[in-house]
Amino acid sequence: MTVRDLAMRYGFLALLAAMIAYFAVSASGFVSPQSAVFIFQSVAITGVLALGVTATLVVGGFDLSIGSVATTAMMAAAYVMVVLEQNALVAVIVCLAIGVIVGLINGFLIVYMRVPDLLATLGMMFLLVGLQRIPTEGRSIATGMTMPDGSVASGTFSPAFLALGRHRFDFFIPNLVPVSVVVLLILAVLIWFFLEYTRFGRMMYAVGSNERAAQLAGAPVKAYKIWAYVISGIFASIGGILLAARLGRGDIASGNNLLLDSVAAALIGFAVLGAAKPNAFGTAIGALFVGILLQGLTMMNAPYYTQDFVKGVVLVVALVFTFALSRSGQK
Amino acid sequence: MKIDRRTLGKMAMGLVGATCLMQLPAMAQDKPAPFDNPGNVKIALVRYLSTGDFFQAYLSGVESQAKALGVDLRVLDSRQDAALQADMVDQAIALGVNGIIIQHGLTESMKEAAQRAVDAGIKVVAFDVNVENDKIPQIEQSDRDLARLALEQAIKDNGESWKAGYVYVAGIAPLDRRNETWVDFKKKYPGIEEKAMFGTLDNPIANSVANQARSVITANPDIKVMFAPYDEFAKGVKIAVDEAGLSSDIKIYSADISTSDIAAMRESGSAWAATAATNPAVVGQVSVRALAQLLAGEDPGKSVIVPPTLITQKDLNDNDIKNMEDLSAKLPQFAHADVAMPAWMPNPNAK
Repeated sequence: MTVRDLAMRYGFLALLAAMIAYFAVSASGFVSPQSAVFIFQSVAITGVLALGVTATLVVGGFDLSIGSVATTAMMAAAYVMVVLEQNALVAVIVCLAIGVIVGLINGFLIVYMRVPDLLATLGMMFLLVGLQRIPTEGRSIATGMTMPDGSVASGTFSPAFLALGRHRFDFFIPNLVPVSVVVLLILAVLIWFFLEYTRFGRMMYAVGSNERAAQLAGAPVKAYKIWAYVISGIFASIGGILLAARLGRGDIASGNNLLLDSVAAALIGFAVLGAAKPNAFGTAIGALFVGILLQGLTMMNAPYYTQDFVKGVVLVVALVFTFALSRSGQK
Repeated sequence: MKIDRRTLGKMAMGLVGATCLMQLPAMAQDKPAPFDNPGNVKIALVRYLSTGDFFQAYLSGVESQAKALGVDLRVLDSRQDAALQADMVDQAIALGVNGIIIQHGLTESMKEAAQRAVDAGIKVVAFDVNVENDKIPQIEQSDRDLARLALEQAIKDNGESWKAGYVYVAGIAPLDRRNETWVDFKKKYPGIEEKAMFGTLDNPIANSVANQARSVITANPDIKVMFAPYDEFAKGVKIAVDEAGLSSDIKIYSADISTSDIAAMRESGSAWAATAATNPAVVGQVSVRALAQLLAGEDPGKSVIVPPTLITQKDLNDNDIKNMEDLSAKLPQFAHADVAMPAWMPNPNAK
């Protein structure tokens, strides 16, 4: 194995280890079980979104609408519980349904209407940002809010739903691991197994690397692509459910930062273990990488703009790892 | 008695005087021109920012005062497009409005448009945007007073010496003004130690700030007070404090308020101790009233400041306040500001 191969395979993980070591020395309180759990919690929502976008990247597509799917799901959850006074289960089902429907529409536009993926999902993004505001005329949703018709919404976030964001499982230490982290880990393992080890997942990679070849080989390319967007939509809506459970209200937000952070995580993931392609394990590591970085910088009192700067540097370095050092770059 | 011109004149004057006297009480209720015939008065609200609870409430205040006066209100919304907002002022001029309220915007783009409106003989007031024009009164909510009220309460609750976390993003005008007060307070009370400063406007803001605040609390476990002079910041800090299980050890002081803030402050054991807020609906009403004064030929003053109100957790619990409507109903100082209120002005809050 040459030095280049080593750098390619383990360079990024070495960088991660070096960063942890640095923060452990320079930021007091960085090394603790609570701190580790918290890093997972802070990346749980963007991580779930990033896993979803990985599925679309695998088929050679892209989903710009995930951020707004998440915030729309959050508003929908709040609307269902606070205004319609339904229970947690209904709220979760409505959110997941939104994810599926948006994914199907995205897939339909891209596959059958031949709209380029970036443009179709961009349109969907704007549509959802507007749509989530229509039922409340642009207001955030909270218990006791006044509706446009003057009545007062009296429903509340059900405790079962809030538990999705606030309950903690005992793990060696009592009340340690929040539900959102467990959800992230389960989804990461699921999508990793699905993409790497099932026939369906491998076919999605085949579609992404050479759509025409896959088609000639008899694969139902259109179905695979639509499925990728449905997966992305479902994951984004799960992200939205976690967000609503954490905030405890329906917050007007475009979700653009969620989109950017999760895309960054997925792209950083290209560099992990020299994969040079979208992969679930890399995405999870990428999300974690950004989370550790932000946690450490905040603990050292770095202002927010330096954090954006550092995030950008990491992304650029990761892309260099992917394209300059990997074999796919040596054309 | 010989009736000559002089006596006739005296009698006439007496008569005029008598009618004047008789009319006086009635006069106080009659509105000065042009509000004696308010259906013919057209005013325009030209907005730069409009999405979010604050701006929704501001608009409702503008609408209620315009309705109380009986004037015709046009709302032009540029949705954060600075060039469009300037065009909309010209559009309002073309519509033949009598008065314009400029709500937010950028000095650079609005200065000339505002001047054009003044040149066209239209009365203009500006809310939270400096258009650098002597003829245009500024409506302001006093950000310095907001921060001062919250911090004074923090001193009252916690004494004069504590370790603080501070949430701030530079470059946002109201936050910069609130920051000035914080800087002054730290000078005035050397016992206050700022252990950490953080903040972000990445949306959803509360979620991003919660992530940061968690790191800050972990790194600085001795922080007792969090000063988060913007309610989205305070919500984020509260989530982090709750998640860290430190709700009883840390107190949060903030600015601004909304229905969901009230719920968060009233949760049992909530760390959110107090907030200082100006009612955005009242700011909207004051904007219209100042414009109406200008139209009636009165001078509302160069700058019209709407005073803030301190709202503590105790106030909310004692009065069982659940939403913004309750807050206005039960804290009268929040529902109405006695600003730009000449005797003839109808009060939209009066029942």
